[in-house]
Amino acid sequence: MVEAAVEDKRATLEEAAKGVFDGAHLFWGGFGYQRPPAEFARELIRQKKRDLTLYTCGSEVDIDMLAGARVAKRFELAYVAIEAIGLAPNTGRRVKERALEIEDYSNLAMAMRFYGGAMGVPFMPIKSMMGTDLEKSKFRERKLKVIDCPFTGERVCLVPSVRPDFSVVQASRVDPEGNAQIDGIRGEDEEGARAGKRVIVLAEEIIDNEVVRAQPDQTVIPGLYVDKVVECPWGSHPMSVYNYYDYDLEHIRFYIKQCETEEGWQKYCEEYITGTDRVGYLAKIGLERLLRLRAKKPYGY
Amino acid sequence: MEESKKAELDEYSPSEMMAACGARAIKDRETVFAGTGLPVLAAMLAQKTHAPRSKAIYEGGFIEPQNIDLPLSVADSRLTYRAAAAIGLRETLGVLLQGGRIDIGFLGAAQLDEYGNINTTYIGSLEKPLVRLPGSGGGNDIASCAKRVAIIMGHAKRKLVKKLDYFTSPGHIDGPGGRRRLGLPGEGPFLVVTDLCQMTFDDSTKKIRLFTVHPGVTVEQVLENTGFDLAVPKSVVETKAPTYFELETLRNIDPRGIYIPRAAK
Repeated sequence: MVEAAVEDKRATLEEAAKGVFDGAHLFWGGFGYQRPPAEFARELIRQKKRDLTLYTCGSEVDIDMLAGARVAKRFELAYVAIEAIGLAPNTGRRVKERALEIEDYSNLAMAMRFYGGAMGVPFMPIKSMMGTDLEKSKFRERKLKVIDCPFTGERVCLVPSVRPDFSVVQASRVDPEGNAQIDGIRGEDEEGARAGKRVIVLAEEIIDNEVVRAQPDQTVIPGLYVDKVVECPWGSHPMSVYNYYDYDLEHIRFYIKQCETEEGWQKYCEEYITGTDRVGYLAKIGLERLLRLRAKKPYGY
Repeated sequence: MEESKKAELDEYSPSEMMAACGARAIKDRETVFAGTGLPVLAAMLAQKTHAPRSKAIYEGGFIEPQNIDLPLSVADSRLTYRAAAAIGLRETLGVLLQGGRIDIGFLGAAQLDEYGNINTTYIGSLEKPLVRLPGSGGGNDIASCAKRVAIIMGHAKRKLVKKLDYFTSPGHIDGPGGRRRLGLPGEGPFLVVTDLCQMTFDDSTKKIRLFTVHPGVTVEQVLENTGFDLAVPKSVVETKAPTYFELETLRNIDPRGIYIPRAAK
């Protein structure tokens, strides 16, 4: 028997981010406090990317940093805030100074836009958003279209599918071929990861291809969709990854406090992002804090 | 009961009153779509009191969690604990909610108009935003598709307004038939709980009307803090204060007072 070759798609964080060109459109993975690609956001800021458009359901500190650093010029999303704690400080500032555009959809609409993109159909029908200001757009003529269903006559709202240039997802584990496992909820990552033309999977751990193939039902994103694999432990800090670590509430509150002013944000950015690298960031957070945040069994947080 | 403990339970905060009202709106065996904050407490309280067989669904993908710690987020790992399933948004918002399987959804609001329409997106306007609020999240989906909707929010003139700065999530639109005309499948809001009172909707106008005032609150106080013309029925009864059992249960759910700051001593 000829042994199948395992394609090695591993890249460094720097290499993977380098491929993202200015003006690119990105599906942004994770949902709220769960598994956002926060370290990838910090790397995009270090590499001074510009004019990115981000598509996601709901994101928090991670995309707020991208707004603050003027890396993102546009969000298409349903939710941006620091849930239960406060508003997204940089996002609010950039919107007010008109340096950031936000096209609002609902969470279901965004998830369906990714699902449609993944399946290669131009739109998906939903039953929400109708009759509200979510139908309006400042930026384009047709954001959605409400029609009468040709079969039943009921009113449905068609939302346009998206096929971003890249999908960026933080997974729990991934093998060198890109077969990714996700513990806990998946938010909209399953469809989002399949919507991008190129897919970057960052993960808390790299596992052997044999591990994947011994339990194929655990694969949430098959490697055949994936272009680049990045080992990125603590990649969602200060948010959480189920079974790996809890969110860092102290740092999240510190972030919000710092970002109350533009100067405060600039200082934070220099200290925690541009003036350091991935390892340096974790060193600044400190071993003691990181050990404290590690998930406890059987809780996973 | 010991005297000191009784005294402790005789005092309660407005948030505790609101959580109790929210919980009482849930019937046993119902499926509940809860957001973070007071709705989580309402859902958990209902389950531990009169509605033990109600089932909570959280947007991020959690189905029937039996969490022992309070979540900060609808994607909080704490909700994975003893959940029946951890899936994703397509399941919770698409199949469960839009599929017509959610009996009651809870929503908050930065602004609410007299028909129960909600703003959670901008203060100012879409054209000239002054403050960027979080946005719809799953709020518009819940408001559109849940069989019925309860709204929990703070009571203030700038929040209960004649005209929304931005219309994020549908209540009864512009009156009777408004939702049907638009093709929205759910029945819309039936209850608004604030720190001053409970309000319901008039069947013939679909406008908000006063239902009960919380203990110690007057009708005048409610009207002074409402930015639209609030209909007041002939008799307005007092909201039933939280029972000792409700309060004890709530304080066990939120022992550190994350969502319910304790009444001032």
